[in-house]
Amino acid sequence: MSPWRWRLSRSADKDMVADAEVFASEEILRQAQDDGSIEQVVNVACLPGLVGNSLAMPDIHYGYGFCIGGVAAFAADDGLVLPGGVGYDINCGVRLLASSIPASEFSAAAESIGYAILQRIPSGLTPRSNYKLNKKEFLRVISGGAREIVRGFGGQAVDLAFIESGGCLPFETPGVISAKAFERGAPQVGSLGSGNHFIEIQVIEEIYDAPAARLFGLEKDHVAIMIHTGSRGFGHQIASDYIEIFRKKNLGSARLKDPQLVHAAIRSPQGRNYLQALNAASNFAWANRQLLQEDIVAIFERIFRQGRGKLGLALVYDQAHNIAKFEKHRIGKEMTNLLVHRKGATRALPPGHGEVVEKFRNIGQPVIIPGSMGSRSYVLRGTERGAALTFASSAHGAGRRLSRHQAIKLSAQTDVRARLQKMGVLVFSFSNQGLREEIPEAYKDVDAVVDVTVASGISEKVARLRPLVVIKG
Amino acid sequence: MRNYEVFSTTADTGIRFKGRDFHGLYENALRGLNLLLFGSHPRRTHGDDSFHFSYSGDGPENVLVNFLAEVLFLAYQKKKQVHALDFIHADDCRLEAWLRLAPCLSVPKVDIKSVTYHNLRLVEKAGMKQAAVIFDI
Repeated sequence: MSPWRWRLSRSADKDMVADAEVFASEEILRQAQDDGSIEQVVNVACLPGLVGNSLAMPDIHYGYGFCIGGVAAFAADDGLVLPGGVGYDINCGVRLLASSIPASEFSAAAESIGYAILQRIPSGLTPRSNYKLNKKEFLRVISGGAREIVRGFGGQAVDLAFIESGGCLPFETPGVISAKAFERGAPQVGSLGSGNHFIEIQVIEEIYDAPAARLFGLEKDHVAIMIHTGSRGFGHQIASDYIEIFRKKNLGSARLKDPQLVHAAIRSPQGRNYLQALNAASNFAWANRQLLQEDIVAIFERIFRQGRGKLGLALVYDQAHNIAKFEKHRIGKEMTNLLVHRKGATRALPPGHGEVVEKFRNIGQPVIIPGSMGSRSYVLRGTERGAALTFASSAHGAGRRLSRHQAIKLSAQTDVRARLQKMGVLVFSFSNQGLREEIPEAYKDVDAVVDVTVASGISEKVARLRPLVVIKG
Repeated sequence: MRNYEVFSTTADTGIRFKGRDFHGLYENALRGLNLLLFGSHPRRTHGDDSFHFSYSGDGPENVLVNFLAEVLFLAYQKKKQVHALDFIHADDCRLEAWLRLAPCLSVPKVDIKSVTYHNLRLVEKAGMKQAAVIFDI
């Protein structure tokens, strides 16, 4: 359709009920063909009741059943819900805080802050958080999300407007969550986790859209804080539990092209229960990122001996990467209520949209695209074109290029910390193996993903950020 | 292919295992998971705890996913390593066994969050039942 937008017509496969559409450069498309993710976009296009096309964002890569970077929408009243269309780490997402601290002033404190965050925030395989929640308290957290943290643990109510869905989705039926999910989740509230989760202190090194950057609070050469984590074992257990439940429901379905694409009708008891559990896990993740933010703010306040106001620490935005939510989108001439699945994709509402916080309404929702350890991250904004073409969705990151084993092998003779320090990045982690698994070469080029995202018109670039301090699980 | 081994995918990791019968298959699945989690399968330890596991499913893939998920739950949440299986019943749709447990002597090497059905299919080759399970980490 264009050098950045490719479509496979539904006539290509008798089982397809919709077209498959990928936003990609030729190179990204070739990689997606090689790794099997195009086939996954096609498999989703075979699901009955799909509204519009089966979509993939420019960071498309192979996932479980549903590709990473995939977006699929179903009618809210008679459509389907797929746990595989959300992923295991429900509401894995990213939060960005701006500051008025110049990078030149931060450098003297960088090491102390990195160590303090590593010491304070549980990361890696240490599952126990600093917050000992009993079942009643945990229930309040998964019901209230970030709101409950602001209410009960500190933080600012003003933050809530800058979190997707206000940091809380409706949840009122604890019976839909297994005992195992409770047991895994309760000790993990306020922890970072492992794998690709991180906390980064970054410097804003380039501004592309000055008015938008100003509104987002991003100033060149100032420091920003990025937090990337999700719903930890709680979300994973919920995903596993409902894949089992949906699997039993889908047994014998000839249409199911992949066992990870099990699904249920949104209105069925199983579908309704999953959506409730999904909301609880989403609330966990928003609460988790809110708690981590408050821990980090407290560290900045202690080390700089100034309050958050003086330091200019303010939430830019918090957004989900793995979620399914009810949203209204224009289909033809009508606004239609849809359940939009985004797996490794972000919501990117356009200027003027009623759900964009008033402060940003004229420029669109911030879209945060983190890079890998040692590479740049980006802030973009939603566009009208994106709203029309992708159910207001955008890319979410780079995606792995090498397996963990390959990354460890490649970095065998390398002191990862020393190498990154030479690049101006201080790295803090209790796990040397974890660091070697996450070397920059293990990830695809985030610049290429952002270039396609912008060229295809689904988001506009606002700012580029470079890591100064990385804390990894 | 050995009786059990660990392999990597681009994003995650997994285990391959085989057995002449379902007893062997489930035992080697356990050995493979112990290799991934702790670097080796432990020698038999006596005098420790046990846990009764029983799962009836719709096929061997379903039983394997639920069995391995239970072993992971015991390792991460209860800090117990399953070192042996005392079978009561094992076939393609059901596994019932006493899982012999010992305290984990070390922290697991990897943070496995979920057992997936991704490309999971039991196959028979040269009289051996074989499968590969991918874990989300």
